[in-house]
Parts: sequence; C-alpha cells; structure tokens
Amino acid sequence: MAAGDVPLGDSPGFWRQAWRRFRQRKLAMIALAFVAALTLVAICAPLIAGTRPIVCQYKGRIYFPALYYYNRNWENPIFAKDRFRSRYAENLKKDPQSWAAWPLVYQDPYRRVRAEEWPGQPGNPYGAEGKPSRHNWLGTNQQGFDVFASMVHGAQTAVSVGFVSMGIAATIGITLGALAGYYGRWVDVLLSRIIEVVMCVPSLVLILALVALLDRVTNFHLMAIVGLTHWTGIARLTRAEFMKLKQMEFVAAAKAMGARPGRIMFTHVLRNALAPVLVPITFGIADAILIESGLSYLGFGASPPNPSWGTLLAAGRRNIEDMWWLIVFPGAAIFLTVLAYNLIGEGLQEATDPRLRQDAH
Amino acid sequence: MQAQQRFGLFPVLVAACLLAGMAAGCSSESAPPKQASVKPSQPFELGNLVEPFDAPPMDELDKLQWVDGPLIDSLEQLRSEKAEQGPPKTTVAEALELRNDFPRSRAANDKILDAMSQLAPADGSGVDYDHTFVRHVAGDLNSTNPLFMSSITDAELSALSGLYLIGFNRRFEYFADKDVVKSWQRSTDNLVERFVLRDDLTWSDGAPVTAEDVEFTYRLIMSDHPELVIPSLQQGPDQLRYVKAYDDHTVVMWHKEPFATRTGNMNWPIIPKHIYEKSIYEDPSMKRSAHHRKYEQQPVTAGPYELVSRVRNQEFVVRRREAWRLHDGQEVRRQPYFQEVRVKVIEDLNTAILALKAGDIQEMELRPEHWESLTDGEDFYRHNTKVMAPEWTEFHVIWNLKSPYFSDKRVRWAMTCAFDYDELLNTICRGLYEPSVGTFDPTAWMFPKNGPQPVKRDLDKAEDLLDEAGWTDSDGDGTRDKEINGQLVPLEFQLMTYTTETGIQVATLWKESLEQIGVAVNVKPTEFAVMQDKTLKHEFDATFAGWGTGTDPDQQENIFGTGFQRNYGQYSNPEVDKLFQQGRRELDQAQRAEIYGKIHLLLWEDQPYTWLFRRNAFYGFNKKIRGYNFSPKGPFDFGPGISAFYGAFQ
Repeated sequence: MAAGDVPLGDSPGFWRQAWRRFRQRKLAMIALAFVAALTLVAICAPLIAGTRPIVCQYKGRIYFPALYYYNRNWENPIFAKDRFRSRYAENLKKDPQSWAAWPLVYQDPYRRVRAEEWPGQPGNPYGAEGKPSRHNWLGTNQQGFDVFASMVHGAQTAVSVGFVSMGIAATIGITLGALAGYYGRWVDVLLSRIIEVVMCVPSLVLILALVALLDRVTNFHLMAIVGLTHWTGIARLTRAEFMKLKQMEFVAAAKAMGARPGRIMFTHVLRNALAPVLVPITFGIADAILIESGLSYLGFGASPPNPSWGTLLAAGRRNIEDMWWLIVFPGAAIFLTVLAYNLIGEGLQEATDPRLRQDAH
Repeated sequence: MQAQQRFGLFPVLVAACLLAGMAAGCSSESAPPKQASVKPSQPFELGNLVEPFDAPPMDELDKLQWVDGPLIDSLEQLRSEKAEQGPPKTTVAEALELRNDFPRSRAANDKILDAMSQLAPADGSGVDYDHTFVRHVAGDLNSTNPLFMSSITDAELSALSGLYLIGFNRRFEYFADKDVVKSWQRSTDNLVERFVLRDDLTWSDGAPVTAEDVEFTYRLIMSDHPELVIPSLQQGPDQLRYVKAYDDHTVVMWHKEPFATRTGNMNWPIIPKHIYEKSIYEDPSMKRSAHHRKYEQQPVTAGPYELVSRVRNQEFVVRRREAWRLHDGQEVRRQPYFQEVRVKVIEDLNTAILALKAGDIQEMELRPEHWESLTDGEDFYRHNTKVMAPEWTEFHVIWNLKSPYFSDKRVRWAMTCAFDYDELLNTICRGLYEPSVGTFDPTAWMFPKNGPQPVKRDLDKAEDLLDEAGWTDSDGDGTRDKEINGQLVPLEFQLMTYTTETGIQVATLWKESLEQIGVAVNVKPTEFAVMQDKTLKHEFDATFAGWGTGTDPDQQENIFGTGFQRNYGQYSNPEVDKLFQQGRRELDQAQRAEIYGKIHLLLWEDQPYTWLFRRNAFYGFNKKIRGYNFSPKGPFDFGPGISAFYGAFQ
C-alpha cells in the first residue's frame, strides 16, 4: 500500500446495514431480546419447571427424565419398570447411591403437585385458594395445576406454533412465489389461481373440522393447518419481488454464465428478495400465536391437558370473579409476545426498505 | 293440582342439562327394541304396533274383581307428611339469614331446608299469586309437543303444561292424579286398569278432555312410521296390550303381563285427539305441515299452565290457565301458585350464576366450584340462599367391552384400581360429592345389604392385573402393549368427555392416573349431541357419563341388558339379563330388592363401568321462592315438585 492511501475496508453488505439500522430502533431491539428470552424459556422449559429430574444417576447409570416433557417416549423405561409413577423425588431413594439435578421449580404443567411429594412443599391449593404464593409464583388453576409451570411450558407451545407454522408457510410461499414470479406466463397464471383458491379457505373452519375428526389433536396439527393456509401473502410478495428482480442485470449475467434456473432463483434472486418477505413472516408468527391461543381459549386447541396460554385464559374467563391471576399473567404473555413480534416486523420493515428509512431523508 | 313427571332414568351432564331417551329405561320387554319396519312412502296407519285384541264390553268388565288404586292430590299428601313431622325448627327469616357452609357442617343446610321446604298454607295465604317464577335451564327447548320430549328442558315444559293420568311422589310411589282422574280401579289379577276421567277438564282451546284423547295418544305412540320419531315414550306403553275408551270419560288399559312395573307403563303425556286425528295422516312426522307447525308454536295443552311465548335459545314462558281452576264458573281445582313461569336458557353456567346473583333468575343447579366459592359472599346471599339434598345421580366411565382394550375384566378392574379417587373427590368435587359404589344408590331400597365398599387406589394391584392380562411394555416405549391378532397393540385409548370444565378435569385426572401404570389416554372433549350419537353407535373406547335415577330399578335393563339401546358399552351377562326378567315379574318388594341387589353385585364384579362419584342436588334459590322439597330425582321431577313452589310476599 502506498503512503497516503486511505485503507479501504469491506463495504458493509445489505444485511449488515439492515442490522445496523435495526439496532438503532430501541423498541425493536427490546422486542427482539424479549423473543430471544422467550425462545430460551421455551427450549429450557423442563429445566425451569417440572417434577422430573433434568439429569439423575440411578442404579449406576445416568438418565435424563426431563426429556419426557419433550416427548413422553423419551423417558427411560427403567422408571416405569421400577414403578416410579411420576414420583421421582421419592422413588430415587430406592437406590441410595442415586443423585439428581432438579428443575428450578418443582411444579408440573400437567398435574397438581400433591402434599409430601417434595420436602417442605405443601400440595398445590386449588380453586379460589390458589392465589400467587411462595410455592406457586403465579398461582394455580381450578384443578391446582401451577400457573407458572403452565406458562413456561405454554411458551413452548407459543414459540413452536409461531416458528413451525410460519416455517411451513414460508417454505411453501417462497417456493411457489419464486416459481410464479420467475417463470411467469402459464406457471404464473396457474400458481396465482392456486394462491387465490387457498386464500378462500377459512383456516379456522378447517381447524375446527380437523379437531372434530381427529382422536387426539396435537399442536402439530394446528401448526400444519396454520402453515398450510397462511402462505399466500408470502407467495404473492415473493412473486412480485421475483418479477421485479428477474429483470435486473445480475440475473442476466448469471444466465449468460450458464447458471441453471434453480440456482438463479434461490442463490441470486432470493437473497435479494428475502428482506421484504421476512416482514410478513414475522407478522405471521404473531398471527399464529394468536390463532393458537384463540383456539385453546375456545376449547378447540390441542387435547387436554394442554399447557397453553389460551387454555389458562379460558379458565380465567370461567372464574373471572375470583381468580384474577388466570387472566392477568397469560393475558400479559400473549399481549407482550404478539406485540414483540409486531415490533420486530415493523423494525425489519423499516430497516430493510430504503423508502421507510428515516436516515434516507 | 300437581306438575307432571317423567319417570325414566336419564343421562346427566356435569354442567349442562340435557337428556335423551328419558323413559328408555322403562322397557319391560326382554328383547331389545325393534327397528322401524314400514317404508316412508307407505301411508300412515294409526296404532299399527298394537296387536289385535278383542276388547270385552263394559258389562263383562264389570264382572271382574276390582280394587281401587290410590287417587291422590300429591300436594295434600306432602302437606300431611309435613304436618306429621311437626312445625319447622327454624323460621324462614332465620333460615334466610344463615350461610350454608356444607360440607363443613350440615346444620345450616338442614335448617334452611327445614324452613324453606314448608308448604304454603292450604288457604293460599302468604302466596304472591302474581309472582313470575324465573327458572334456569342450560339447553333450549327442542319441541313443545310432549311426544317429542328429548331433553330436560322439554320435560320441564311438559311438567308445567302437560296432562298425565299417573304420577309419583318423592318416594316413587305411583298414584292417579286427583286433579285429572275421578276413579282408578285395578283388576285383582293385575291385568286390567279402569280409569274414569274428571268431566271438568278442558284443553286450552276449550275442547273437553276425553277418554278418546287417551286412547288416541296411546295408539299414536304405538305407531310405526319412519317419519314419526318419538324419542323416548314408546317403552312403557309397549308393555300395554290394549287401551280403549268406552265412553267420554272411561278408559281401560290391559297389561300384557302383571309386571311389577305395570303402573309406570301408564305414565305418558296425553295429547288432544281433535288437533291431530286428521293431520297425522297428511304429515306423519307431525312437524312439517303448516298445521303442525302452527301447533308447535301454540300447542293445545290441558295442564295447569299454557305456553304463551317462546324465543329460541333464550326463553319460553308459560302462564296459569284459568280453565284449570274454574269450570262453568265453579272453582274445581286449586289455583297454581305462579302467574307465570319464565324458563330462561343460559348455557354458560358462570353467566347463569351472575344472573342468579342479580335476581334475573330465581333458581339454578350449582356445580362444586359454584357452591364453594361463587355463592358464599354477600353478593349471592343478598337475593338468594342455597341448599343441598340427597339425589340418586352417579357418574362413571363406560368401558366399551367390544374394544380390544376392555373385553378383559382384569383390565377394567385395573382401570378402577388405578384411578385417584381422593384427588377426584377432594379437589375436583370440592368434597361435596361421595364415592359411587355401583349402579344403585346406597340409600335406595334396591341397594344390596352387603354392598361394595368404595375402591381404594392400588397401583400395584392395577399393574399386576394388567400384567396378568398380558398388557406389558414389551417395546420399552413407556406404554403397555399386547399382541392381538399378530399385531402389537399399545394400550392407548381415547376417553370421551363432555366439554364442561368438570368433565375435562375428570378426564385429565384419568390421564394422569393411568399414565402412572403405563396406559396412555387421549382426552377427547366432545359436544353432547355428538357424544350421544357416538355412544349410541358404540363408537368409543371409553366415555365419561352420568345417570340420574329412574323410578324403578327395572329401568336399568335398558343400560345393562344384552343388546339394549343404551347399553353403550355392549355389556352382556346372561345372569344379569335373567335377573332383570325375574325382577319385573316379582311383585313382592323385599324379593325384588334381593334380585336387584344381586344385579348390583354382579355389575360391580364385572365392572362394565368404573363408578366414580354420586352427586347430590345443589341448588341456589331466590329468597322469595319457598316450598321446595326434594326427591332422589331433584326438586322438580315428582309430585308435587314445582307445584309446591310458591313466591312469597316479602
């Protein structure tokens, strides 16, 4: 480098610039931190509240009974064989050498903790007696299930419903939108009509029909339906972006270099079209959470016992006169989460769309 | 005067109050009911199910040996019983000041019941005859025609406005209603019954009530046409050989056999012949034609009240009929106590509680959570009081014995042993209900002397029983399984329940209880109508349900008799079937009690149900309402029932 030359750093790319602009928005950042924390809580729910050890040694081997909360089949059969019957604290004593690391709070989202289950902890109160207390931070519901445990495990439902359903919607929407926008002509006509048809399908009615048909409704069913019916907005936006971008020089250059359509679409065009598409996905996550909560509130959610914020809220509605904690805590959780996703979406929109940038003026 | 009653046993909901096939338990037939055999296109034939019978002339009948049947004014009967008990130990004013703290103590409850159950004086002093009694029901009226009764709400209307020859009191003793019948005679061979109707009864359109109406109604009930769907009334009349009107007021009924249940078989509502005798041929459904739609809106009735308005899903209103009390200017019957009875439909029970507190409704049945926390404050006691009384209603889980899981008795017993009854009774039922120990109530006359004791939870026994039955966790996935027809079937079943909070809570507790022994349960909250359909078609593995009592244990044949309509779990035990037949042919009450006691024990041994809890009657009443007494069927469904209620001047 010659003396006096100004060193040239890498010019910031689009995403780095977008992130920089996003970071400048305080509310959006707080919302992002909230969602990150919520996601962490959701992932670590069995570590925070549960009645099964996170890890334990029993008869000389190490086990992870808390995996039960992710999938009941992941609980090692030795505990069923030794007739533990969901009471680990008491039954681990069968092996004097055993030890266990327990969740932060000994409470369960699927049942009432009984007296004598955990040293020094009384049985959960129920009904109007279940006010927030030292042992039940956010109170208990009518049946004595701990609200804090239900909220923590309900976060799993909220986060997974949001991400998975929008993951499905984004995959379908982006793929079909890309095909329609890139190829145009009859492909566009055909896919556009399909989009219009799907837009006419009322997802709520579909979900209600599914709930009536299935013996055991899980959150995955709800996620699938929401995902399969909420991709149309994403597809239309992707299509429009692709129609615009396919005229650009870099696409022509890629074609001239012999790149195949798939590579052009998903390597060159998509990365340029992705920013505006992220915005409806973010709003869609908020929508999906609201749909799941709404369905659980109406009693059409996953089969009981279903630790969902909507289920808690429904119990609160039935006992509105004397169990305020069933309204306040899940209501606040739903409100804040939906608000956070909307703020993130808005922040993303402003950070990625040059027309909305305040610093562009 | 008395309100009329239905006499069958009926399914009950934990929160909503619907029923279906109320009298279906009344069959005395040893075979399951037959299907319709006439094509819809074929013309309607009145009484085509009635077998040919050559009714003898009246002078031949006169030669029979007759004994008088009881002819009773149930309100007066109850008044006599009250008088024998002596004056109440608590005044109404004192009772209305009390807070009912049952189950902690029964003292306050007993005092309130003692004072508030007192009847109005015979001269009607103190009765506010202008009062409108606002009642609560959880489901809408299906039909105003009593032949189409299929819900408790339908039965409420029929009780207020319908006409019956036979009624029963709070001990389920049958009698002929003195307000309707002039005389009732029974032949000494128990095969023939002769009723003479009073000549001062008129329909609400002014036409006289005659014996022809009784015969016509019987023949209509006994008509087989696919368009005519009578949900629950055929069982009972189908045990009569024949019904014939001999003159305007004399009607004679012949029984097929002198069953112990013979009197109950004559308990059905009467409809006016002059309204339907021609129209039934034009529209056998009795629902579609303009004529039938008109009378669906404005039914012609002959009871103490008549329907004056109906708003679907909101309310119906009945008003006192002057023609019930007065005939040709003479007072012939007691004036009904209420000017109007307004029956409000409020499906959401929490909304209903608010309405009760505000005084918008004047009675409602309370659930445990209502009793415990929503009705203990000043806001409730300002306008209301509450009472508890014994009722023969029990809740259970029905196992479908034809499913691969529950055909083995050991599996059913394992389920019974695994359930957490303490949690159910103390937490979900708030200590208000008692454990159920079988199909008959322990306080009922047919309950066996050496009856079963409540089951104590025993998970070791439950697991051992499942092991014995071959259900083990062979693949180590935490759920027991068994090889059936070459396939490994996991012990994972669906438990259907009502969509009510208590229903879901009970089902969730089942899930928790059974998971502890390696049995997976999927809880399926289901709308009541869908649930009824599925249970009738046996499309379920297990279902949470409840039965109110009938007036006679014979009615249980419809639930546990092989192949019967409401034997939802497809239970079959030839010994039980035989005992039911014996029971209805036995006329000695002590012998009958022994027979039904055996049935109770056999059912307990077989566990086609896991019996969970017995629910007593818990009611909230406005302070202005007095005169409520209870039978094992609750406060309304017996004689005098609602006829004893009155609004008092405050």
